[in-house]
Amino acid sequence: MATAQQPAAPEMSRGVQPLRAGQGYSFIWRRLHSLSGIVPIGAFLIEHIVSNFEALKGPAAYAEQVRFLNSLPLVRVLEWTFIFIPLIYHGVYGVYIWLRGQSNVVYYPWAGNWMYVAQRYTGLIAFVYIIQHVLRQRFMGVSLPEHPGAAFHKVQVELLNPWMLAVYIIAMLAVCWHFAYGVWLFAAKWGITPGEAARRRFAWVCAAGGVILAVMGLASIWAFVGPGYRNAPDDVAPAISIVAPVTPGFAAAAPLALLVKAES
Amino acid sequence: MPTKTVSFEIRRQASPDAPAVWESFELEWRTGMNVISAMMEIAANPRTRDGRETTPITYDSNCLEEICGSCAMRINGRARMACSALVDNLEQPIRLEPLSKFPLIRDLQVDRSVLFQNLKAVKAWVPIDGTYDLGSGPRMFPQEQEERYPLSNCISCCCCMEVCPQFNENTNFVGAATIAQVKLFNSHPSGEVLKEERLRALAGDGGIQECGYAQNCVEICPKCIPLTNAISDVGRDVVIQKAKDWLRG
Repeated sequence: MATAQQPAAPEMSRGVQPLRAGQGYSFIWRRLHSLSGIVPIGAFLIEHIVSNFEALKGPAAYAEQVRFLNSLPLVRVLEWTFIFIPLIYHGVYGVYIWLRGQSNVVYYPWAGNWMYVAQRYTGLIAFVYIIQHVLRQRFMGVSLPEHPGAAFHKVQVELLNPWMLAVYIIAMLAVCWHFAYGVWLFAAKWGITPGEAARRRFAWVCAAGGVILAVMGLASIWAFVGPGYRNAPDDVAPAISIVAPVTPGFAAAAPLALLVKAES
Repeated sequence: MPTKTVSFEIRRQASPDAPAVWESFELEWRTGMNVISAMMEIAANPRTRDGRETTPITYDSNCLEEICGSCAMRINGRARMACSALVDNLEQPIRLEPLSKFPLIRDLQVDRSVLFQNLKAVKAWVPIDGTYDLGSGPRMFPQEQEERYPLSNCISCCCCMEVCPQFNENTNFVGAATIAQVKLFNSHPSGEVLKEERLRALAGDGGIQECGYAQNCVEICPKCIPLTNAISDVGRDVVIQKAKDWLRG
């Protein structure tokens, strides 16, 4: 006689575990990662690309922009609080997120899934690039906070190496992609665009923003390697120093005067 | 006259720890054949393509009309319901594999109880039990009802979790289905009483924050549930709830 013997109830010891309701702090860390990509990192990215755009006006204007930024009150505190620490956090936690994910774009090759993968690769490119960029441009060679006039020359020397130029172009595109899609993701995950149509419209806005930033960034790179300002002087304004008391009027006028001299 | 046939490659495993093997089957084609009906035919005469006798395939199924959610499996690499997978629409040989992210029981049968655990963790119900008659519930506007109805279509098939790159043993992510049910029950005039508890639950480890918004869930969902919309809405509610808790705490 067949008895209705039930198999032992399967235990939950294997496989994906259930939600740990109310436990842990991963919510705050993950949301902080998401937010830090917008402010301060995204905001700084925009500032950086806009500032670099000054390079199109030449070494003197670029030097003035570098001097202005380094003259902000508590600039070293601002630099660490709003740039370095958030960047380290966003990058390290981002790698951690990537390692925990399990991409399946091979089986499910949909647009959103591709973007999920692209967000990870562009993020890694950006992180590796930024580490070398900060080390080589901020902490090695001529110290730009003390010698803003040397900024153009320093970047130009870097970009005259074709390998570095390629690195900068690739990184510029990766960073702008990562930021543009990151803004879109932020709006989607934080419930700013909970509707299908809203997300589609906002995707266009983000794409446009990303393209504008990328074009501005590439244009700035062109300013350093193009024919406009070949062989920029080592330091357009050796006299300008943030420790020396100079009037803003003089600071702005001096490099211009030098440039006029150089061109004449 | 040679009859039209259909061929299957089925990934089989006798027990959770047994090695996986592939078996091939060839069946006579029939009108309107689907994957489940094909496996029923195999069960009636369990022989592989080369005539070797074997055991019937083990799989979950019940309603055979894509409403019970039992027969989810990977068909030609993609998670879907076997009952609505018409053989005529599939590339042959049709490859059948169990869902990959759930503990395997045997052949195509997996243990999806994690979804049930998750639904319990977020209290995905309307609490109406009491010691006296609570009377009729509050009325719902038709507009609300229309918003809620698609979410109520969830059949707990777990396809959204299977295809999610974030649903794995590293993150132990809760998955889209549970998040959509939180939206459903939080928008119910009586179920709303547990809203805060549900949102706090979803902020736990493995909660809504693990979503990477790859949007595979909404692509694969056999019931076309607006899962990404639900994740977005609930994501906002969880942030607001956590902020409130933090400021009031």
